[in-house]
Amino acid sequence: MAGNEREEHILVCLSSSPTNGKIIRIAARMAEVYRGTFTALFVETPDYKVMSEENKNRLRENTLLAERLGATVETVYGDDIPFQIAEFTRLAGVTKVVMGRQNIQRKYFWSKPSLTEQLISLAPELDIHIIPDGNVSRYRSRKLYRTEQLVRADDVAKSVLLLAAATAVGMIFRKMELTDSNIVMVYIIGVLLTAVVTSRKWYSLVMSVVSVLAFNYFFTVPYFTLKAYSDDYPVTFLTMFLTAFITSTLAGRMKQQMKQASEAAYRTKILLETNQMIQKKSDEQEMVSVVANQLVKLLKRDILFYPVEKGRLGEAVVYPLGEEPQNPENTGADERAVAELVYQTSHHAGATTDTRSDARCLYLAIRAGEKAQGVIGIPISGEPLETFENSITLSILGECALALEKEKALREREETALLAKNEQLRANLLRSISHDLRTPLTTISGNAGILLANADDMDRASRRQLYANIYDDSLWLINLVENLLSVTRIEDGTMKLHLSTELVDEMVQEALQHVNQRKKDHRIVLNESEDFLLVKVDARLVMQVIINIVDNAVKYTPPGSEIHITTYRQQGQVVVEIADNGEGIPDEAKAKIFERFYIVEKGVVDSRRSLGLGLSLCKAIITAHGGTIEVRDNQPKGSVFRFTLPEEEVRLRE
Amino acid sequence: MNKPLVLVVEDDAAICNLIATTLGTHNYKYRTAADGETAILEAASHNPEVVLLDLGLPDMDGVEVIRKIRTWSTMPIIVISARSEETDKIEALDAGADDYLTKPFSVEELLARLRVTFRRLSYSAAGGEADSSVFENGDLRIDYASCCVFLNETELHLTPIEYKLLCLLAKNAGKVLTHSYITREVWGSSWDNDVASLRVFMATLRKKIEKDPSNPQYIQTHVGIGYRMLRV
Repeated sequence: MAGNEREEHILVCLSSSPTNGKIIRIAARMAEVYRGTFTALFVETPDYKVMSEENKNRLRENTLLAERLGATVETVYGDDIPFQIAEFTRLAGVTKVVMGRQNIQRKYFWSKPSLTEQLISLAPELDIHIIPDGNVSRYRSRKLYRTEQLVRADDVAKSVLLLAAATAVGMIFRKMELTDSNIVMVYIIGVLLTAVVTSRKWYSLVMSVVSVLAFNYFFTVPYFTLKAYSDDYPVTFLTMFLTAFITSTLAGRMKQQMKQASEAAYRTKILLETNQMIQKKSDEQEMVSVVANQLVKLLKRDILFYPVEKGRLGEAVVYPLGEEPQNPENTGADERAVAELVYQTSHHAGATTDTRSDARCLYLAIRAGEKAQGVIGIPISGEPLETFENSITLSILGECALALEKEKALREREETALLAKNEQLRANLLRSISHDLRTPLTTISGNAGILLANADDMDRASRRQLYANIYDDSLWLINLVENLLSVTRIEDGTMKLHLSTELVDEMVQEALQHVNQRKKDHRIVLNESEDFLLVKVDARLVMQVIINIVDNAVKYTPPGSEIHITTYRQQGQVVVEIADNGEGIPDEAKAKIFERFYIVEKGVVDSRRSLGLGLSLCKAIITAHGGTIEVRDNQPKGSVFRFTLPEEEVRLRE
Repeated sequence: MNKPLVLVVEDDAAICNLIATTLGTHNYKYRTAADGETAILEAASHNPEVVLLDLGLPDMDGVEVIRKIRTWSTMPIIVISARSEETDKIEALDAGADDYLTKPFSVEELLARLRVTFRRLSYSAAGGEADSSVFENGDLRIDYASCCVFLNETELHLTPIEYKLLCLLAKNAGKVLTHSYITREVWGSSWDNDVASLRVFMATLRKKIEKDPSNPQYIQTHVGIGYRMLRV
């Protein structure tokens, strides 16, 4: 039970059904058991507008109940409820859906498959939990019948024509003295064709009845009456009616399924195409423009996009269908207010909706999580979106929101990783510092302690040795602190270079004054350039670079070694080379030497004094000045550190 | 023997103790003050030869102390500051301080600075070279009247700017002069271009008067701050 690999996301659908409350409660309990996310989804169909007050109230109660039980309530819009649910589960990463049993059984074998069955076929990977509920029969959601579509002149004309044609063919058959059964067949074909060419099912039903009557009227004895003498005619009429009706129903279903299949294929194609195009883009702006352009092509309209900038809605961007935006009023202040509203509520608004239906455009929020990431405006201007257009638009926007969300998550993850890396560096630095501080501090306090307690009992030479140790270690600490100060100045990202024009040789000389006292064991030779090399730099930082490199050379070469410092000009750059004739640096270390906290591992006696900070700091400082730093082998042995700084052109004032 | 009196203005007891001990063991008299108010009072009542002044004082800005003292006295003031306060140092020098020491400093350095200051004091006490027509410093001699400079009795050929620079440093020998002070005095302005020119002319000047330019004897560079003529 505890070993859930991924977090469960439980979804319950809201409806106005009286048993919905029970289902919501069960889903909430499930979410609690699985410790998962809990979402309540309401699919708002066009039927919502004609819902009775009673049902609306119940829906409100159910919504409130779901909220009380800790669900995030989401609303999606569309005609096709199972499709919308399936889309939502895919986009939101839902793992389990809880539904009531009422939706399970098909009423008749030719009726549409139930919601559950459709959902299973649309989202096969989904866990669907079916909850038994009692009193089903009393509740029926009322459907919206669009009266304007009930009778369509062209459908009626087609039916009448087909009936006339069937009758005419029947007449010809009778002339040819063929049997009645052939004429019956012709009528059945007529009904079948009606089912195919008309848009509603009841045309074929009426056609079946009318065909039977027509057959009776024209082709049964006595002709041109609705009477029939023969005993077997009632059976013929009944069989004819049933055959006509059943075949037409099946044909209608087939036609509908074909249409659905082709729409689904088209939808899949477009979504896939959009998806692929989005995946190729990594920039938010580009993703949105891809989506907007897809919508422009698909809907054959201008598309408006309001991006979200710093938590506010930015200026509208118009993606025009032609060369120019069709109507500048679409981006007016009133329209913008509607878009703002959509951004605030994450609810659709504008033309063809309940809210602000006076607006010119339909506004939809692009969102996957809590917050809308932009608002898309679709100009309606008298032609509402078709159902299919509407649903595919919603799918594309969902796709876009998902990609944007992914992009955002990716960016956040990168930022977190960077933060973690900086944190790691800081931790390393602290560890390194505390180690490097502790050693000399121990020497200083220990030696001072000995001197305080036993100075009188010691001979002059050993006292001197202790003094010298204290002095050396304190000098080393001073240098460490200097480096740390420079590091913090750079690390903050607020490195402000105090730029001034300096003579390179002057800086080198000054820096050598600060090099560790032990340089007395080494010979430092300065080969100054003949010219005056001027650079515009932060003198203190660049001196730190020279001090660090020379100190390093002193530290890592045996006493008596020579260190040559050369300055010269090369292609607009001032070059400073610090060469020693020590052991040199192994090749594999050369690449890493400028990395933070890298310490060349070899048996150097006082390797404890090696905060791997000096050279990385040098690199940071030189880079900040627009120069480069590198190390190479010296001939015949040793190594050469070389750094460059851009030369400053100066016109002298006499 | 009249021991010179040094006023030590420092709020940190340990450093104050370090300086006091150093001064004591090197035959200086000293008085200490832990804040600006006391410092001004001590300076007025005891009229010390030199003031060692820490810039970070608990009650007021060290620069304020310099300004106050400068209202009645030209006594040399050596500023002691932590290294991060570079702009403070320049501000202090421009306000009238003579020299500065950066924390952490070595005892030798402190003593060297004091010696430089006292040497300058003894020069001015001996004759007051500001009014004299000849400036002498080791092998270097400037004859203001004839605008000639001699090194080891050999005349040097200096450009007008170099000569102006040298005179400015000589008249303020022992004092650290900031870049902007020098450029204002020599060019009358203090632009970036002037600072660059200053660098170059100072370098050429040094090549002429220093035996070993990489180990200067007369003109000391203070990177990021300015220059100083040393008393040899």
